[in-house]
This record gives sequence, C-alpha cells and structure tokens, in this order.
Amino acid sequence: MTLNVDKAPERHESGWKSLPSMSLRNRIAFYYTVATAFLMAVVFAAILLLVDRIVYMHFDEELRHEVAETFEDAHVKGQAFSGFDSFRGIGGTDDEKGEHKGQGKKKELDSEFIQLVDSSGRVVTKSANLSHNILTFNPAYSGVRYFNSVAGDAQVRQVQVPLVNSKGITEAYLIVAIPMKSAMLVLLDLQNIMMVSFPAIILILFILTRAIAGRSIRPVEEVIATAQTVTQSNLDQRIPLPHNHDELYRLSATINALFDRMQDAFQREKQFTADASHELKTPLSAVKGTLEVLVRKPRETAHYEERIRYCLDELNRMARLIDQLLMLARYENEAMNPNIAKIDIAEYLQSVISRLEPLSVEKLISIKLENAPSGVVAADPAMLEMMIGNILSNAIKYSPAGSSIEIGTARRSGLLVCSITDHGVGIPEEKLQNVFDRFYRVDESRSSSTGGFGLGLSIVRKLADLQHIGISVSSRENAGTTFELTFPAV
Amino acid sequence: MRLLVIEDETGIARFLKEGLEEEYFAVDVAYEGKSGLDLAMTNDYDLIMVDWMIPGISGIEVCKQIRRSGSSVPILFLTARDTLEDVVFGLDSGANDYIKKPFEFEELLARIRVQLRKTNQDADAQSVGSLTINAVTHQVFCGSKEFTLTPKEFALLDYLVRNKDRPCSRSRIIEHVWDMHFYSDTSVIDVYINFLRKKLEQAGCGNLIQTIRGVGYIIRETRPDSE
Repeated sequence: MTLNVDKAPERHESGWKSLPSMSLRNRIAFYYTVATAFLMAVVFAAILLLVDRIVYMHFDEELRHEVAETFEDAHVKGQAFSGFDSFRGIGGTDDEKGEHKGQGKKKELDSEFIQLVDSSGRVVTKSANLSHNILTFNPAYSGVRYFNSVAGDAQVRQVQVPLVNSKGITEAYLIVAIPMKSAMLVLLDLQNIMMVSFPAIILILFILTRAIAGRSIRPVEEVIATAQTVTQSNLDQRIPLPHNHDELYRLSATINALFDRMQDAFQREKQFTADASHELKTPLSAVKGTLEVLVRKPRETAHYEERIRYCLDELNRMARLIDQLLMLARYENEAMNPNIAKIDIAEYLQSVISRLEPLSVEKLISIKLENAPSGVVAADPAMLEMMIGNILSNAIKYSPAGSSIEIGTARRSGLLVCSITDHGVGIPEEKLQNVFDRFYRVDESRSSSTGGFGLGLSIVRKLADLQHIGISVSSRENAGTTFELTFPAV
Repeated sequence: MRLLVIEDETGIARFLKEGLEEEYFAVDVAYEGKSGLDLAMTNDYDLIMVDWMIPGISGIEVCKQIRRSGSSVPILFLTARDTLEDVVFGLDSGANDYIKKPFEFEELLARIRVQLRKTNQDADAQSVGSLTINAVTHQVFCGSKEFTLTPKEFALLDYLVRNKDRPCSRSRIIEHVWDMHFYSDTSVIDVYINFLRKKLEQAGCGNLIQTIRGVGYIIRETRPDSE
C-alpha cells in the first residue's frame, strides 16, 4: 500500500518530463496530429448531427404529408373533429392496399401506420398493417407533436395530431407513424465508418507528419553537427549555408555571425595575452639575465651600482605595466559602476591642469585653458581626471619643448565637448583608428625612450565607455593631435 | 667563437654581450632587423641569436633570409613568444633552437655549446696530442697538468683546436675570435700565437701550433719523426 503511494508521484513525474525531452519532429507531428484530430472530431460530429437532422426532417415531412392525406380521405378540414365515422377509411384503405399482394410484405415494413384514439387514449380504429400492435399514445402532448417511438419491435417516427370538435375540445387523436429502420441503419453505418476511420486517419497522419517534419528539420541536424565540432581551436569553421533563403538559412547565418564575433574576440584576447606576456617577460628577462651575469664574477662597486639601478628601473617599469593591466582588467568588468556626479567643467579642468603642471613645466610646455563656456557635465570625477591626465601626458610626451597645449570647451548640438589639442608629432592617418587598441603603439619600435606600453589610451576609452562619454581623435602628422570628449546630456 | 646578437631590448643585448664575452666569445650586437641581417650576411659568424619582435625586419624574416642565402650557421631564436604555434613556426623558419624568455643564462650557454659542436660525437673537451681543452670549464691541460691562459689566448686556442688539422687563415681567425670593433691589422694574431706557443712549451706540450707561410696557422699533433 505504502509502496504504491510512494511510486505513484514518481511515475507521474517521469511522465511529465518526457514531453519536454520529446524530439522536435515528434513534437511537431504530435501537435499537428492533436490539432487535426480535434478538427476532424468537430467535423465528423457536425456531419453526424446534420445527417441526423436531415433524416428526421424527411421523416417529419413525410408524416405531415401522410396526415394531410388521411385528413383528405376523411374529408376533414384542419384538425376539426366531426365524429369517428369519417375515419373509417383508415382500415379500408389498408384492405385495398392489401390486394396488391406482390408488394404486401414490403408495405408492411415501409408504409405508414395510422391509428385513431379517443381523448382517453382508447384505440378507435387503426390501419390493418399494425395487426395486433398499437401505436404509443402520449396524453401529455397537446398540439401536434413529432416523436420517436416503438411499434411492436420496430423503431418508428410518429406524429400525434389532436382532433378538435366545434366547441374546441379535443375529442380524438390521429397518430401516424412510419418505420425508421432503414434510415437508422444508414445513420449507424455512417457513425461506424467514422469511428473506425478516425483513429486510422489520425495514426496515418501522425506517421506522415513525423516523416515530413523529419525531412524538413534535417538541415537543423546538420547545423547541430557542425556547431558541435566547432571548438576554440577550430573557430574558423563555418556552417554551410543552405540554398533556400529560409529560416534555416537565417539560423545558419546568425550562428556563423556569432562564430565570427567569437573568433574575433578570441583573437583579440589572444593577441592581448601575447602582448601582455611579451611586455612583462622582456623586462623580466633583462633583469634576470643582467643579475645572473652580474653574480658570475666579482666586480667593481660602480659596476654593481649601475646594474642594480638599471634593474630597479626595469622593475619600476614592470610595476607600472602591472598597474595598468590591473586597471584595464578592473574596468573591463562592465559591472563596474562609475560614481557619476555633476561637475562644473571649467573649474574642474583648471584644477586638473594645475595638478599636471609639474610635468609640463619640465618640458617648458604651456597648457592653456581657452574661452571655456562653463557648463555642468555628468561624469565620475576620479575617472575623468585619469582620462584627461592620460591624454595630457601623451600630449606633453609627443610635443616639442616650448610648444603649447590648448584645452577648450564648446557646445555642439546641445552637448558639451571638451577638446585637448597639442602641436606635437601627430599620428599618421592610417594609424589613427588603432590608437585606442590595447598595446598599440604608433611608434612601432617598442621605444623604452618614450616609456609607454600602449595601454593608456585603451584605458581612457574604457573609462569613457563606462561614463558614456564619446571620445574621438583627429590628427595631422607633424602638426598636432586633437582629442575630443563629448559628454552626455546632464 | 664569434656570435651575433640581434636584439632591440638594450638591457638584454647588454647582458648577453657582457656575459658571453666573459665566456670568451666575441660578440656583435645589432639592435634592429636590417642591420642585423647585414652583419649576418657580411660576416662569418659561428652562431646567431635573434629576437622575434625587432624593429625593421622581423626575426623570422632575418632567419629566413639567412637560410635563403645558403648559410647553415646555427641560429637561436630568443623570444618572449611562448605558444606552441610560435615555437613550431620559429623552428620551421630555419632556426636551430628556440629559447623562451626569460631564460637561465647557464642554459643559454649550454644550448650555444650544443650548436657549436661540429658533430654529436664531439665532446666539450677536445684534445690535440697531450693538450686537452675544455670549452665548458675553460680549463686547459697538458697531460694531467692544468695551466692557465688569458681569455683571448683561450679563445684563440679554442678556435684552433676546433679546427684542428685544418689551416686557419689570419682573416678567419680575426673574424671568429675578435668582434667587429677590432679593426687593427692581423699582426695581433702573431703576438697571441707567440704567447700561446710559449705557454704550451712551458707546460710540456711541445710545438703544436705551426705556421703556414702566407696563410696562417694550423694546430696538429707533431710527429716525432718529422721533427
């Protein structure tokens, strides 16, 4: 008992799970079949109902006709009752008909039964073909009433017509019936055919739909097969595009585009890792090698001092690189939220410039803040300072001694734009688009002389993205470079 | 033994030159691809070390061009690029060995010695008659008796012993024992040969170094009957 109770929900659960794990082709076939089955059931039911109605309509029509004929024979107008005598013809008619011996048997079955009862239900007269059977009389029915009944062992459709005397009192009822057997047989046959054909059609339909669905989703299987073989090492593989420009074509094209982007991202990541490792390993090898050679032999103090100083410089350089890499990694994390505040740009620029003054003074470079239309911008003060500081120190680095750097603000289509312009070496046009890339250096010889790693501007761009600040650069070789920051609307 | 180092990172180039010279090698340095290739093409180096990422022509290209010129000089790749594809690509472009930065200086020396052995049977210790010279420890023996030489004397003797029984011209000796900054005339060789002869004589190895008039010198085992 307990076992059963325990097992029952389990079975239920596994049954529940099986539907989601059903293959797509089976599911398509299943849903299609269910929908078609429902539709077919409705249509079949409607047909049966309609045929049924039509059959009864014909019966009732025939009954009406028989009643009218009987009345005509009895010379009765409407349903007026003028005595039972006028209906004596009911039996006689039958006798006449009985003479046609050849049709006698058939008449028994097909022809109508007529019976006259008085108001208490007693049979006054009836047609001979009824023999000892009598037709059902239902005194509860008032007015003309059509209904199914049984006469002897035969199913009949009958009508009960009240006959009213001149005072308006129902004196008798005329009951006319016709057997329904043959029509009922047809109806039953139709019903049986439908009952048998319904499951057969559904089964065939399911098998056919399943086959068709299988055929039409075969390209999906191919897409799956290809997608499964694509790994990080063979990201250049692509799904072959089908000939028809259908949904599957779009699916394949979309997946291929996804692979493109993935490959691109992997490639960039790989390049970044290679560059970072190169940048870290080079000074590391220099320090390691220098020290290894240094300790192989005893040397003079000055020699030691010089080499150790060199190593310290290299280590500082590495430390700076590690700082920048960590910063980049931190900002790479999109979840990093800048502390956006409202900053008065003119005031802010002035303070940033004064903090960078020592750098520029060294090279006799003057930083001018030009006709600043003051305005409030939304930015993270610390991040913005890092950005401007980075751009400015680049400008100082690549400017000749004694030149000037201009910082200006302007309003362009409602947005505040801050520009930083130097008159230094400039950037060749073909290299302009890459300056924000990580480890990209305009000067290809990895010049320790300028001391950069090519990470500064990529950090600037990352910071700009985080604060939704637009950044652009324009330059002319040997004339200077301009960086523009477009702040979002406050 | 004269080596060429093509390396743009001045710190690395400097300790390589310094350390290798202390190991009695003559070392030339080029800081970018073009001048490195020029040096490699015009001088007869015993071994070339190339960094992959150098300004101008890349290390790979330098390596390929040296091989294209028909030279079979041993080339060592010295690079921070460390992926499997990089190593395979580097070796396939004609390098004899691939050393990843950062490396141990001792390992670099051992790998250089591997490349400088003429055949695999050659040990690092070679001998001519009763003279034995060890390129690893820089020791020189006459029989079992050790005697000392100056670095230049050792480098000269080492070169002659590696080419024993073959005449070595003065210009070849200059090329392989002195670096490119040495431009004075070849009479300096005669001076060092004299020093060497005296030291060998004192140690009891006899007169192993012979003069080939008009050409240079040869070191070979002296047969008593020919004396």
